[in-house]
Amino acid sequence: MIHDSLIRERLVTGDKTASDVTRDISRPILNQPTSAWKIGFTLSVVFLAIFVVSLFYTLWTGIGVWNINKSVMWGWDITNFVFWVGIGHAGTLISAVLLLFRQKWRMSINRSAEAMTIFAVICAAMFPVFHMGRVWVGYWALPLPNAFGSLWVNFNSPLLWDVFAISTYFSVSLLFWYIGLIPDIATIRDKVKTKTSKFWYGLFSMGWTGSTRSWARYELVSLILAGLSTPLVLSVHTIVSTDFATSVIPGWHTTIFPPYFVAGAIFSGFGMVATLLIVARKVMNYENYITIGHLEAMSKIIMVTGSIVGIAYITEFFIAWYSGVEYEQYAFTNRMFGPYWWAYWSMMSCNLIAPQVFWMKWARTTPWFIFTMSIVVNVGMWFERFVIIVTSLHRDYLPSSWVMYSGSLTEIGLFLGTFGIFFTCFFLFAKFLPVINMAEVKSILRNRE
Amino acid sequence: MGILDKNLSLRNRNKILVGVWEDEDALIHAADVLVHKGINIHDIYTPYPVHGLDRIIGVKRSRLARVAFLCGTTGLILMVSMIYYMYVVDWPINVGNKPVRFTPSWIPVMFEGTVLCTAFGMGFFFFWRNRLLHGVKNDLLDDRQTDDRMIVAIETTESMNQAEVIEMMKSNGAVETREYVNGVQTVI
Repeated sequence: MIHDSLIRERLVTGDKTASDVTRDISRPILNQPTSAWKIGFTLSVVFLAIFVVSLFYTLWTGIGVWNINKSVMWGWDITNFVFWVGIGHAGTLISAVLLLFRQKWRMSINRSAEAMTIFAVICAAMFPVFHMGRVWVGYWALPLPNAFGSLWVNFNSPLLWDVFAISTYFSVSLLFWYIGLIPDIATIRDKVKTKTSKFWYGLFSMGWTGSTRSWARYELVSLILAGLSTPLVLSVHTIVSTDFATSVIPGWHTTIFPPYFVAGAIFSGFGMVATLLIVARKVMNYENYITIGHLEAMSKIIMVTGSIVGIAYITEFFIAWYSGVEYEQYAFTNRMFGPYWWAYWSMMSCNLIAPQVFWMKWARTTPWFIFTMSIVVNVGMWFERFVIIVTSLHRDYLPSSWVMYSGSLTEIGLFLGTFGIFFTCFFLFAKFLPVINMAEVKSILRNRE
Repeated sequence: MGILDKNLSLRNRNKILVGVWEDEDALIHAADVLVHKGINIHDIYTPYPVHGLDRIIGVKRSRLARVAFLCGTTGLILMVSMIYYMYVVDWPINVGNKPVRFTPSWIPVMFEGTVLCTAFGMGFFFFWRNRLLHGVKNDLLDDRQTDDRMIVAIETTESMNQAEVIEMMKSNGAVETREYVNGVQTVI
């Protein structure tokens, strides 16, 4: 027998019916864009233009326009790559891991989090691809038959694992996102009036009717994809961490990197989801769907993963001392008190100390505060990657190779520009596709036990 | 049996009796009653997954999980053969004096390839089996079946007492009943 829960808080408030859900969530798609959307979109396109200009300059002049050098051969580019890949983890985490754990609160936020994953991975991919310098031979990273003496790619290299991991992650996330979108695209198809819209939504809904047979298979496929994506999402950031951990650079050569990177990825990903959704719920009037309860749950995850990352920082430091290896000890002392102390302490305060405020209920339930914290988290996580990469590289083994590094204008332009790519894609997504999974939200309106 | 599920199309069917429900609980109850009376429900169209309906109307458990396993195994074999050929047979390279045979460093690429083949193989068969293809005409019985209405479709047989079935649908919560013949619907 099915009952309505008397004690559990409702996941969707405002006594919504199924048709209310369709109406509310398809409103931005069926109506003309609002001024908020237009302003946001224009601003994103401006940043996108900055990306195009910076990229053109890089390609035209050469990789030398970046400030990277023979000691700090990875600078802002790989920092930004790891930053964006990390952000790209929350989407799959929300849709896959929380689905396996039957966490129904994910249903209001999984769609936008998955979209965020896809856009973030696109942004991430830009950096290693263009860091190659000669991007037109980028296909050399793939195991293709070639005329260079049958030389194949090196399967021992984490950089190659990355090629496989990131491309698999992107493709599988895209498939997962699209399969989830089909029923909602069908709903929009049956609502739109113009011929062009009917054609496009009809094309992408692929004849979906909502048959019980289709739903049964849809749910099975979602479950299997979730089961596949869970180890996938863990593998991707583990592999990214091995880019560093398999090297012999002091500060990188540590076995704690995989779990530490994965926790950091979830942390930064949830930071970005919170940033986007707090704005979206306000601007698009989705407060009944993305409730304070959702924000509170996300804040708790941010706090837990932030603390895991914090413990990892401290453990690294402890192990450097305990190992007795003077190179490791120097690397970590240099991080804390060397010329990049400001980056290290920014990282520590943003990632370890700041999220501890979420122990207070007020902090977890106040949207503007969570929004501010989500920005702090993202700044902190960018600094984490900067600290790991630059502080370990700038003091090479030979003191004659010691250098200082800061991003050039082009590197800064490329980084800001990826925000342009990300937000342009996100604004287009918010205009043309339902930001909340209508079908799934309709199934939890009753608050069943 | 073909891969494509022929039940999903409404073309070339006998007359279909259509019942429209607004409430999920009433629908589950009605479906149960109809099936127990020996009426064969062709399909039920809902805007969201209603758990239990598939068992009531006798939809068999999908075999997509097995398909996924087969695709995954194929992917794993493909990846192992690829790496083995490139790394051991065709052009062995001495990297850090590591042995030219299986090493744990193959695992990440094997894993990613397996996941990729499983996801896309299963996805492909999911689309095929579900008659999901760009440009397929959607056989909708009601425009609101993707919004907030739940539609029961019963294909008529010669022995069926249609008036009785319609009465049964109405008494079990159907807010509308119609008949559907060759794409044309009439309210009854």
